Amino acid sequence: MNGLPPVALIAASVLLPLLYPLLAARPGWRGALRAALPLLPLPALVLAMLSATPWTLELPWLMLGSTWMLDELRRSFLLLTALLWSTAGLYAVGYLGSEHLRRFCVFWGLTLAGNLGLVLAGDMVSFYTFFSVMTFAAYGLVVHDGSDRARFAGRVYLVMALLGEMALLAGFLLAAQAVDTLLLADLAAGIGASDDGHLITALLIAGFGVKAGLPLLHFWLPLAHPVAPTPASAVLSGAMIKAGLLGWLLALPIGEAGWGPWGQFLIVMGFVGSLGAALFGMLQRDPKTVLAWSSISQMGLIVVPVGAALAAPGHAPVLLPAIALFALHHGLAKGCLFLAVGLVLPASRILRVLLWLLVALPALSLLGLPFTSGALAKGVMKKALLATPDLPLAEHMPLLLQAATLATLVLVVRYGWMLWLKLEPGGAAACRWWGWILATLCSAVLFWWLPVVR
Amino acid sequence: MSLSALLPILALLSSLLAAVVIFALPESSHRLRTLVNLLAALLKLGVVAVMTWGVFRGVDFSVSFTMLPGVSFMLRADALAMLFAGLSAVLWLFTTIYAVGYLEDSPNRSRFFGFFSLCVASTMGVALAGNLFTFFLFYEMLTLSTYPLVVHRGTDKSLQAGRNYIIYTLGGGVALLLGIAWLHGLAGDLPFQETGHFQGADPALHGQLTLIFVLLIAGLGVKAGLFPLHGWLPQAMVAPAPVSALLHAVAVVKAGAFGIVRVVYDIYGIDFAYALGLLEPLAWLAAFTIIYGSVRALWQTDLKRRLAFSTISQVSYIILGVTLFGPLGAVGGLVHLLHQGIMKITLFFCAGNYAETLGVHRVDELDGAGARMPATSVAFTLAALGMIGVPPLAGFVTKWALGAGALAAEMEWAILVLLVSSLLNAAYFLPIVYRLWFCPIAAPWPAERRWGRLETHAWLFWPPLVTTLMLVLVGLLAATFVSPLSWAQLIAVRMYLP
Amino acid sequence: MNQWLMAGLLFTPLAWAALSLLLDFRQGRWLSWLGMLIQALVSLGLWVAVASNGGFYYALAGWEAPLGIALRVDGLAVTFVLLTAAVATACGLHAGVYLDPSKSWQRYFWPLFWFLWAGLNGVWLGADLFNLYVSLELISLSAVGLVALGGEAAALRAALRYLFAVLLGSLVYLLGVALLYGQFGTLSLTGIAAVVGADEPAAAMALLLMLAGLALKTALFPLHGWLPPAHGVAKSPVSALLSGLVVKASFYIAARLWLELGDRLGSHTLAQGIGALGAGAVIWGSWLAFRQPHLKQVVAYSSVAQIGYLFLLFPLTFAVAEPVSRLAQQGITLQVVSHALAKSAMFLAAGNLILSVRSKRVDALGGVSHYLPFSLFSFGLAGVSLMSLPPTGGFAAKWLLLQASLASGQWWWVVVLLLGGVLAAAYVFRIYRATFLEDRASDDFYHPPRSLEAIPMLLALLALGLGLVAEPVLSVLALPFEVAAEVAADVAVQP
Repeated sequence: MNGLPPVALIAASVLLPLLYPLLAARPGWRGALRAALPLLPLPALVLAMLSATPWTLELPWLMLGSTWMLDELRRSFLLLTALLWSTAGLYAVGYLGSEHLRRFCVFWGLTLAGNLGLVLAGDMVSFYTFFSVMTFAAYGLVVHDGSDRARFAGRVYLVMALLGEMALLAGFLLAAQAVDTLLLADLAAGIGASDDGHLITALLIAGFGVKAGLPLLHFWLPLAHPVAPTPASAVLSGAMIKAGLLGWLLALPIGEAGWGPWGQFLIVMGFVGSLGAALFGMLQRDPKTVLAWSSISQMGLIVVPVGAALAAPGHAPVLLPAIALFALHHGLAKGCLFLAVGLVLPASRILRVLLWLLVALPALSLLGLPFTSGALAKGVMKKALLATPDLPLAEHMPLLLQAATLATLVLVVRYGWMLWLKLEPGGAAACRWWGWILATLCSAVLFWWLPVVR
Repeated sequence: MSLSALLPILALLSSLLAAVVIFALPESSHRLRTLVNLLAALLKLGVVAVMTWGVFRGVDFSVSFTMLPGVSFMLRADALAMLFAGLSAVLWLFTTIYAVGYLEDSPNRSRFFGFFSLCVASTMGVALAGNLFTFFLFYEMLTLSTYPLVVHRGTDKSLQAGRNYIIYTLGGGVALLLGIAWLHGLAGDLPFQETGHFQGADPALHGQLTLIFVLLIAGLGVKAGLFPLHGWLPQAMVAPAPVSALLHAVAVVKAGAFGIVRVVYDIYGIDFAYALGLLEPLAWLAAFTIIYGSVRALWQTDLKRRLAFSTISQVSYIILGVTLFGPLGAVGGLVHLLHQGIMKITLFFCAGNYAETLGVHRVDELDGAGARMPATSVAFTLAALGMIGVPPLAGFVTKWALGAGALAAEMEWAILVLLVSSLLNAAYFLPIVYRLWFCPIAAPWPAERRWGRLETHAWLFWPPLVTTLMLVLVGLLAATFVSPLSWAQLIAVRMYLP
Repeated sequence: MNQWLMAGLLFTPLAWAALSLLLDFRQGRWLSWLGMLIQALVSLGLWVAVASNGGFYYALAGWEAPLGIALRVDGLAVTFVLLTAAVATACGLHAGVYLDPSKSWQRYFWPLFWFLWAGLNGVWLGADLFNLYVSLELISLSAVGLVALGGEAAALRAALRYLFAVLLGSLVYLLGVALLYGQFGTLSLTGIAAVVGADEPAAAMALLLMLAGLALKTALFPLHGWLPPAHGVAKSPVSALLSGLVVKASFYIAARLWLELGDRLGSHTLAQGIGALGAGAVIWGSWLAFRQPHLKQVVAYSSVAQIGYLFLLFPLTFAVAEPVSRLAQQGITLQVVSHALAKSAMFLAAGNLILSVRSKRVDALGGVSHYLPFSLFSFGLAGVSLMSLPPTGGFAAKWLLLQASLASGQWWWVVVLLLGGVLAAAYVFRIYRATFLEDRASDDFYHPPRSLEAIPMLLALLALGLGLVAEPVLSVLALPFEVAAEVAADVAVQP
């Protein structure tokens, strides 16, 4: 137990957002409910910033016997989740009207609890539990505005999410049977040795693929991400989508020999997603929809090193940090871009220029411009990929990565254009501004000071 | 008489005497009746708690006397008995509280609560029965004592439902009686014992034993709502909500499922039943019922009817668990006996609350009820999610255990059944949840009533919340030694490793 | 001690009968209530005596058979004596409140009641065929009289029909008795049993005749036509007596004859044939009960059906192993006892319900469930016994009969037993259903006195509890019988 942080802090990271919906019990507590939104992820943030990894917390009495833990991989996801939810929460304080405020806050808290919890989870059941809590609670965020479009998107989201959950449950059940333990850490080796290994892998790839927007499992994503209220879109596309990725990293037999075909499959799917999403995203008019397609595209790009890690077991230790870094970068940048959609143009000309500059910052970061988080993340990832020997498509890899960058460019430009057309002058609450500015600062500045980056 | 013999009798008598007292009380003495009801429920809870603790420590509670030549009346508390007895004792308390609130100002309360107590006494008898004969005795008593509850409203529809209920259950009783009598003729008095009685039975008897097994399952399957014997169940939902809760969660369907558990494990013995090839057809039947009930539930517009078909589906989980040859499957089936009870009773309490407070009976009238009755709706939502098997609620624990059991038994198809059923559960529960929270109130409530500060009558308000808390806790604390899961594991260990 | 008890059992009822003839209804009631108390105590005393010391033969006034009156006091007989005391006391108490003293003819109720009781005790204890005949006639005539007390034209018509039936039955029975006496020169049942051989057509003919006569008196299908009108139209306590006890008397004699002589004089065909008639009674009687528009007719036809079960004794004891036969005998005994208790409870409760709604029709019962729940509950409990659901005596009986049927390989009776239970449920639940209907417009109910409600409840509870204590009750039946062998030897040496 090397430096286990205070248990109270760990408990608070999950319990604070989990119990926060109780504030909704009395109509009179609306004010507190709204004000608490940005504070919910703070214990988790402290935990991610300050605790010395790795640590493990055994909770044998919880559910079927739980283990919570934090290692370097999880730490970057925890940072992303806490930062993005916190800034989006601040944004939401200024964004939300009074209608259905309590309902929104309840689902916000539960989704956040799920999202934080799944990062900390060290065993299958805990992971699956928090994953489901997040999935179901996020439905409330998606359909929040009650329009026909939102309800349709919600239905598609829910159906696909349920199918994904079932695939996961089946996969986890088979895996638990194979490894005879619930710990995620033992899973890779167990699947590698199991007779049902391929079935389990397929089920897990599909199950998490729904959340991560793997091509052909992505249909819900361009529908659901845009219709949610803007802060919810930001966390959906920035943080929650990464839960699927984390699931893959934790559960797939990465580091085991003999999974080349699946790695190859993921690499191909990654490029298909990365490039294909650009084609569809290019045609969209709603900037949020463009961003949703961009998320699919970026996730496709991240899937490539996941596949590489699966295909080249020896190289996984190099690839995993690169993936985590890229996820962190993308989550923060994408969050900013989503939040920007809900802004209004200030009256002063200087401020407008400043606004567009700040909007451009994460966009450029996505493109990997020097001195942005994107440059670092992409560079590390590209280096790790190209250094991996015997990869399928290895000879086309540089070209394909170029193409992916082009796809990103296309989508970013399209987004900028659509945003230009959309933003109108007006007034917005201060919290909304501060939320957005903080998010941008996180993406552009704080990123460099984060423990996983240093 | 020693304490160990006294306690099972006391558990039985606590509600039996309550019934007698209640029948004797005049219709108008409501307070006294409520007091008797609650005291009896608490007394029973206490007795059952003491017995459970005793069984945990390995004390043998039993009492028996000869009733007929060669047949004894036998009460015995083993771990399995306490599982069911604990369920009914706990839920009886809440159902009583709920029923008192539900039936306020309605006629015939004396009759209602009298039979209500009789019903619970029978359930306790079913749980504590030490042999097949005693089981049958209380099983039939249960049929009779629930009839007046089903037809309580006295409308044509409820009488019709009562008629069908009686036809089905008494028909089932005939099959059961024949099976038991036949078995008795072959093997004499059969006390329940953990490894069954027929290990190494004469192969010449196998044909007869198979036939008897079919008879017994047919008889028990009626109450358990096993397809195609489930027809009475959806109709019986015309009964008042506490009765539905009792029927679906505590007493009737559970008695059937519990009986199947007893027959498979404690009469035939799981190994013998497996060797005889009886388990697999039963597993298929249970699997079909699971799917069938869920599919039928999809099309129901009446809330309670939808819940009834859901019961048909969910109870077969128990049977499926029993038929999965192995301790893990058994754990899943047994724990679902409890979990389904807690979840389903919550759902019926909530349905009753909507009906009593808002006058809402149909699913499409529920639009926006979440805003008007948030606590009830939270309870309903959590119970529905539990039914779907969303972690960390009760239903997930079941599903996980059943899935693990299916894999251990190398019956992978059962996992597919579980998954499809979960999807179907989601398909008929989530639209309701959606209506509760995300639809605006479309029309004024059909018949709204108000009771002061709370969203509904206080006696109706708390029971579903408490059971909701239970269904969350049994999932969250599944690994602790007080959880139903641990108890089911204890039973399975005693059953498989005697 | 036993002398006094025996005398008390047989002669004091006659004395009460004679005394009450001199009194009017109200005075007779006081006298009879006292008499019932004494009679019940005496019955109990005899039961205790037999239970502790075993059964015995008793020759009245010291005259031995075949000339005198010989009594056979065994476990079965004292059980039935006690049953009679219980049911008759209940009916007597009920009648004292129920009957209308202002009708002048009701004063004959008490003498008839006591004659009936004396006759019943005579049958249970009788050891020779002629005495049995006399007792049976006493029962029949007083029963006819009791039916006629209904007073209406329908009651008189039914009584007359009843009279013809029982007279015909008696004649046929007497013919059989005469044949036997002609052949064997003795009327002692044990005596005949000791000397009769296997291949004696005349004796077989006599047995057949006696059984036919008794079947008519017991209203075995298809000779049951007289029973439902008589039992349906009589006053409720009378119906209870008739259905509960009177029909059992003739059956008792038939059963004694069969068990003593059947193994040699009977045949497989005869046994199965009687069983088939019993089965027919179960099914046809239940079906008719289900169809009756009047409450008491339902109960009366239910008696026809329940009596049918009794005749399964014949196939189930013929040419089967001793343990199986014993199972069947025990089952039938329980059926007699539980039916007596349940059916009398049911008739008395039905009487209360009819009083309450002022109509005899089933469909007039709507709403009575919350007005008269106690009586309805008694009716229901008795119904549970008739449906033979556990834990009632009816169930215990059915369980034993099922075991006997299965063990003897005669599975077709299993079908009858199970079907009979289902059909009984059908007609009983038809009544429940009617009482639960809440559509009655008027709220016009008469509330009968509490005592009228309590009596059927007690009887129903006895029927219910019988199942739980079936084992001790049956163990009394198996008590040792001290002099059986000696007397048999005694008779055998006489020419």
